[in-house]
Amino acid sequence: MRILIVEDDLEAADAMERGLVEAGHSCARAGDGEGGLAAARDGEFDVMIVDRMMPKMNGVQLIETLRREGDQTPVLFLSALGEVGDRVAGLQAGGDDYLVKPYAFAELSARVEALARRRETGSVQTLLRVGDLEMDLIGRAVHRQGKEIDLQPREFQLLEFMMRHAGQSVTRTMLLEKVWEYHFDPQTNVIDVHISRLRSKIDKGFDRPMLQTVRGAGYRLDA
Amino acid sequence: MRLPRIFRTTPFRLTLLFLALFASAASAFLAYIYVATAGEATRRTDQEIVREMRSLTGAYQRAGMDAVNQSLIERAASEKPFLYLLMNSQGERISGSIEDSPVETFTGPAQWISFAVTDRDAQGRLVKHPARGLQERLSGGEILFVGADVGEDEAYVVKIVRALWGAGALVIVLGLAGGVLVSRNVSRSMAGLTDVVDAVRNGDLSARARVRGARDEFDELAAGVNEMLDRLERSMAGHRHSGDAIAHDLRSPLTRLRVRLEAALLDVEAGKGDPTQALQQALEDTDGMLRTFGAVLSIARLQAAGTAPDPVLFDPAELAADISELYAPLSEDKGIDFAAEFSKDLLVRGNREFLAQALANILDNAVKYTPPGGAIMLRVRRRSSGEIEFSVTDTGPGVPEADRGRVIERFVRLENSRSEPGAGLGLSLVGAVAEAHGGRLELDEGPGSVDGAGPGLRVALILPRPA
Repeated sequence: MRILIVEDDLEAADAMERGLVEAGHSCARAGDGEGGLAAARDGEFDVMIVDRMMPKMNGVQLIETLRREGDQTPVLFLSALGEVGDRVAGLQAGGDDYLVKPYAFAELSARVEALARRRETGSVQTLLRVGDLEMDLIGRAVHRQGKEIDLQPREFQLLEFMMRHAGQSVTRTMLLEKVWEYHFDPQTNVIDVHISRLRSKIDKGFDRPMLQTVRGAGYRLDA
Repeated sequence: MRLPRIFRTTPFRLTLLFLALFASAASAFLAYIYVATAGEATRRTDQEIVREMRSLTGAYQRAGMDAVNQSLIERAASEKPFLYLLMNSQGERISGSIEDSPVETFTGPAQWISFAVTDRDAQGRLVKHPARGLQERLSGGEILFVGADVGEDEAYVVKIVRALWGAGALVIVLGLAGGVLVSRNVSRSMAGLTDVVDAVRNGDLSARARVRGARDEFDELAAGVNEMLDRLERSMAGHRHSGDAIAHDLRSPLTRLRVRLEAALLDVEAGKGDPTQALQQALEDTDGMLRTFGAVLSIARLQAAGTAPDPVLFDPAELAADISELYAPLSEDKGIDFAAEFSKDLLVRGNREFLAQALANILDNAVKYTPPGGAIMLRVRRRSSGEIEFSVTDTGPGVPEADRGRVIERFVRLENSRSEPGAGLGLSLVGAVAEAHGGRLELDEGPGSVDGAGPGLRVALILPRPA
């Protein structure tokens, strides 16, 4: 995957690049908004990681410009500003996701993967399939190896998100944001409890567990 | 030239203004009284002159000149204060009490005149009295003049005028004196407040205005200033305290972190052991500190803004149901019974995200401190006052009454809960959220002690009725 990093904090950008390259991606970098704009116009990228506050042209202006020019590359905003209003402003400018500094690298990498994946799925799907697990989005039914699994509405949403991001790590914060739509970090492990309930429904009684815990990152649904 | 202080005070200036207004009103009043009394006296004299004239002309018509002369003679003997003069058709004197008519050119059948008569007073001095007179031509051509000395009426009016002037002067003197008294009184009341303001400006936040117990607006102002200073002092103390608390809360994890990294470095340098575990621990410590910072930042922003951003009108039961759905499994997994009870058709105005976080924090604490086998109840209802109340009741150890106020303050963590991570800021943030919504946070005892558990804690987040 080709990733453009537009970030004026060089040390942070170095760490980010090293991590992403290690995960098998290739990266291009720009140190300010104008550089970022030039790089984005020149190259083809799968995801752009853009710092909100930068010299010359800030992240919001950069993305507004690109969106006006028809560039639809998914954008992950990085910001030290974490208030609801800041987040909304970032998303309105054309950002696709928003990550507040400081962040764990696992969080960043999970979100970058999720953004890139979202782009791949072009047509609307009515049936999700991961391994022997099937989700019928219209019939609201889930089957594993042909056996019906009864899920609560929230468990259904949770599983849907995991299936749409099968094979990728998703973090607790991502789940809280995308499934529950809350943007704060709970102090306790509320998400873990929901995951373990879901796990007991889709994995219990089957020979191979699908819902994996990824140390230091979150969870992953494997086929 | 600078006026003495008392003359520069607002009350004194107001007194002067009031006095000026009062003096104009009084002048108008005096003028009216003068016209009414003096005019009335002249009118009465004129009526008497007319009556006398009618009486004499009546006599003339009945019995001619002789009757008039007879009447004049009779009247001259009496103490009647009228002046008479009977003249022939050429204006020559026939008889009367005065020598000449004051009327110089007589034209009409009747003519009024104001003039002066000369008289001797008790000491024999010549004095002039104002007088009024009426001259008429009789049917036989003779001319009759009847006049009256109005000196006594005039003196009466002069007395009235003099009394009025005196009264006016008295009003001004009393008014000025009153103004001085009032302004001195007000200045004294203000001086207390000014002293307090000066003291606070010089850094003494403990200065307080004296409330004199008069229950007037100065007392109200003094009480208001005192309350304001109380809040300010508390807030300043809070900030000072929070500085200490941040230092305290972060020093231990920072120290731990440093020790851990140093040990890991030594291990690596000695070529023994794998530093992974130490680094993981270090990361966890850092995350904990970042969470603390995040909460501090949220609280500081809410407190600085004073209001919740982006408020919307929504159903609080819906929010509570959402959050219960998030927390019920956590509670049940710990063996704590979770119950919820929501009133229908309620509305609140607020920032949904902040309120969700506040409820989550309250529930976080409840789950954390309630032992297995206990119970947690989340309730949303409308108070009789119209306020909306979210409450969470648990059967944990509760908070001693003496400490309840402190728990809400920033960074305060009760001594016996120091070992629990991150508990310090939860309720402070809830308090900040409540305050930003114009509401408040109340802590109470829970359901009481049962079988060694309890007495529990009841945390109520109370929001004002939506306008």
